Amino acid sequence: MDSKPFVDAPGTGRPPLPVKIVIAGGFGVGKTTAVSQISEIPVLTTEAPITEIAADIDRTGQVPSKTTTTVALDFGCITIDEEVKLYLFGTPGQDRFGFMWRDLTEGALGGLVIVDSRRLDDGYPAVDYFEKTGLPFVVAVNLFDGFLSHNLEDVRWALAVSDDIPIVTFDARDRGSVRDALLAVLQRSLARVS
Amino acid sequence: MPTDPPPSWEPLGPRPYVAGHRGVDVPTPAAASDPQVSGVRPYLITGGRARPIDSTLHVETQVLTTWDGRAALDTLTYEHRDIVALCVRPSAVAEVAAHLRLHLGVARVLVADLVATGYLVIRQPEVGAHQQVQIIERVIRGLKAIR
Ligand SMILES: Nc1nc2c(ncn2[C@@H]2O[C@H](COP(=O)(O)OP(=O)(O)OP(=O)(O)O)[C@@H](O)[C@H]2O)c(=O)[nH]1
Ligand SMILES: [Mg+2]
Repeated sequence: MDSKPFVDAPGTGRPPLPVKIVIAGGFGVGKTTAVSQISEIPVLTTEAPITEIAADIDRTGQVPSKTTTTVALDFGCITIDEEVKLYLFGTPGQDRFGFMWRDLTEGALGGLVIVDSRRLDDGYPAVDYFEKTGLPFVVAVNLFDGFLSHNLEDVRWALAVSDDIPIVTFDARDRGSVRDALLAVLQRSLARVS
Repeated sequence: MPTDPPPSWEPLGPRPYVAGHRGVDVPTPAAASDPQVSGVRPYLITGGRARPIDSTLHVETQVLTTWDGRAALDTLTYEHRDIVALCVRPSAVAEVAAHLRLHLGVARVLVADLVATGYLVIRQPEVGAHQQVQIIERVIRGLKAIR
């Protein structure tokens, strides 16, 4: 006999469909701030283990050594309607690891790469991964104190993202601004499936 | 098991600000790099029916305690017990990890165990690939309503 759930959501036969958007970017670019501005629950954080494959061949042999480290994963959610629940996952991400990008991005509607225009290279790993896997994404330049260190075309050039990838500026502390950045991501998601 | 060779980790374009490129070949999932795979998973499961645990337990996947799990509560050990108690209300795998202060990977394995023993079920509505556009449009409408 099949196991029966202990409870069902009151009044509904159908569980909500979870959908997600991944918010990636380097350390201190405003990911937690952005998720907390728009989440209806206080942001939750969990540690996710990652396996790093060391780039250098270590002294003891020819095999690249593997080490395990952890990275904090923030998440929040927004109830869209009775049937759809949007999860936002924020991660610093990193290049050179196996587990987490895949686990986070599989099935995602899209990605938002937050960059600080003074430290653009922190955005590379996410941009590379999203391009490679074909995940629709948008680059959001967080305007710390309203200051943009480069114009957006320079940002595009520096990140080497193609012309069809939107680059927007936003303020992670402003809910409307975070919402608009997420809407830009969803327009990309829509463009891909329709 | 995907048998395709993993795509390489080369950036698609030059990243002029990078001193040297950081790439090392890292396997990316065949599914995730397959352009046919939709944003909303097309194969959805109800009641934890026969699918490999690994492909269904995403960080956002909701799980729920069963009557069996409820009945077994007193016999379970700490983490298993905590998870079964927590999931009396449906919870996402990531929520389980955060509430119980478990590493995400650990939570995922424990949840998978409990699904395998029938104490939890994966709670996932049936959604067809053809519904993706509508789902994205709903999310857009929902977000636009946020002020
Ligand atoms: N002035 C200004 N400060 C900001 C903005 N966004 C974030 N901050 C501040 O920048 C700091 C880092 O922001 P977080 O949201 O913690 O960044 P994060 O990406 O989560 O950082 P890590 O989790 O450490 O990688 C915090 O002190 C924020 O208050 C912004 O748009 N303008
Ligand atoms: Mg943070």
